[in-house]
Amino acid sequence: MNTREEVGEFSKLFNGFMTLMRRFIFKVLCVGPIPNHISFIMDGNRRFAKKHNLQDLDAGHRAGFVSVTHVLQYCQEIGVPYVTLYAFGHDNFRREPEEVKCVMDLMLEKIELTIDQAISGNLNNLKVIFIGDLNMLNERLKAAAQRLMEVTEENRGLMVVVCVAYSTSHEIVHAIRESCVKKCGDGDSQVLEVSDIEECMYTSIVPDPALVIRTGGRDRLSNFMTWQTSKSLLHTTVALWPELGLWHLVWAILKFQRMQNYLQKKQKLD
Amino acid sequence: MDFNDPMLALSSWIGQVSFLIGDFGLGLLWRFIHIVVTLCHIVSGIFEAVESYAISLGLIQKYSSIDIEKLKCLAVVVDIEAARDVSKVVELLQWLTTIGVKQVGLFDSQGLLKKSKDMILEMVPRSVLLQETGEKDTSGIALEFISSSDNKEAVVKAANILFQKYLKSRHPGKDEGENVFTETHLNEALRVVGESVHVPDLLLVYGPVRSHLGFPAWRLRYTEIVHMGSLKYMRYGSLLKAIHKFTGVRQNYGV
Repeated sequence: MNTREEVGEFSKLFNGFMTLMRRFIFKVLCVGPIPNHISFIMDGNRRFAKKHNLQDLDAGHRAGFVSVTHVLQYCQEIGVPYVTLYAFGHDNFRREPEEVKCVMDLMLEKIELTIDQAISGNLNNLKVIFIGDLNMLNERLKAAAQRLMEVTEENRGLMVVVCVAYSTSHEIVHAIRESCVKKCGDGDSQVLEVSDIEECMYTSIVPDPALVIRTGGRDRLSNFMTWQTSKSLLHTTVALWPELGLWHLVWAILKFQRMQNYLQKKQKLD
Repeated sequence: MDFNDPMLALSSWIGQVSFLIGDFGLGLLWRFIHIVVTLCHIVSGIFEAVESYAISLGLIQKYSSIDIEKLKCLAVVVDIEAARDVSKVVELLQWLTTIGVKQVGLFDSQGLLKKSKDMILEMVPRSVLLQETGEKDTSGIALEFISSSDNKEAVVKAANILFQKYLKSRHPGKDEGENVFTETHLNEALRVVGESVHVPDLLLVYGPVRSHLGFPAWRLRYTEIVHMGSLKYMRYGSLLKAIHKFTGVRQNYGV
């Protein structure tokens, strides 16, 4: 066997060992309560690109996608049932047109790749759902997102909700409009309730997040799920999104476990 | 070298170790990790306390001057247990007055601070209710009292106003109605039902966890949220540090 093959074998062995260690760590972590739903505000892709002198406009976002695949794998292995990813906000459309186009093209590329994986059975039973004002997307991207939702509809593994063209303020207004139209159609009552509005929210398909993790060191929610996070633990890490790793996730979950008694008490009171 | 043999052996070994350790062993390991995490938090807490006292004594130069003009609207979220101790809330407001903060929204989910509104206004010098301030009134501190009823319930009340407008605009024979479902319309409807739509620049959370605890969602979009720990053990230096950090923040609002 030559040196290259030996290095390849060693690398496989090392990766295998790391996988087993990771699974052992998760086994220990799962002794305590695991968040039912984790939301990620994926901030820091552009700063990552700047930090590493990456020239391409989508370089940071490509690095960010790699992070997405790792995080989803970890969440699946831990046993988290729902994950929400804040991929592209309503306000992000106000960025430079070239950058917006770049991000949309990258999203299309990755969605088409994921469709292929889903069809060939390599998606680990993930169910992917896109929420937000999808009419703001170009036709091809919208169709691809729809297709990915269709091919993963029957999957019963980790549910991944991807927020695109999303903001809480838009979601609330949209939910009010939809609930008004629905109420007109019902004809029974002319008064809206909280439940009417919540049923029409984009995020009605998932429970409220137990844990929100924001990367990039910023302390704000940036118009993301402010309605749904009244009982959520808000965790910020200075790591940029492409830098988010296993230990950041483990630390956030340990923090959640420490605060679980208080969060449960809060839920009962409300 | 066949890759599979050592991996299978390792996997089998870990499986056997896990079996031997069993649930009890894993539980012990989990508790040990949490003890280590708690110790880390205690050590970090000690460092923060020391830094806070140094800031209070003016030993750290950069906190001696704060550009308070950047902080137009501050909100404070108080945990229910802490909200029962009005004296600590009053002390916090007195500190904020000293720092020069002009507008503070006080939130607790159950509305306990709302019920103690008169007492708080009496005990905090030069404080007025926000609704009663004139536009050019710059002396003292304007207070707003907020609870969970100003969150989802308020949005529903505003939504019902929009619903009525929508129903009228659908009446046959009327010209095509305006689109009443915009953020501007919702803002207006919230004002009609007596809600403030001011978006706080900074939200300080006094409680065991960093959570906004149900602060009005419509107002929380780009607000910086900082966890300050327990109100019972609040420190002036930590407050100064949080406000100073905020004044250095650069918002891009998604752009």
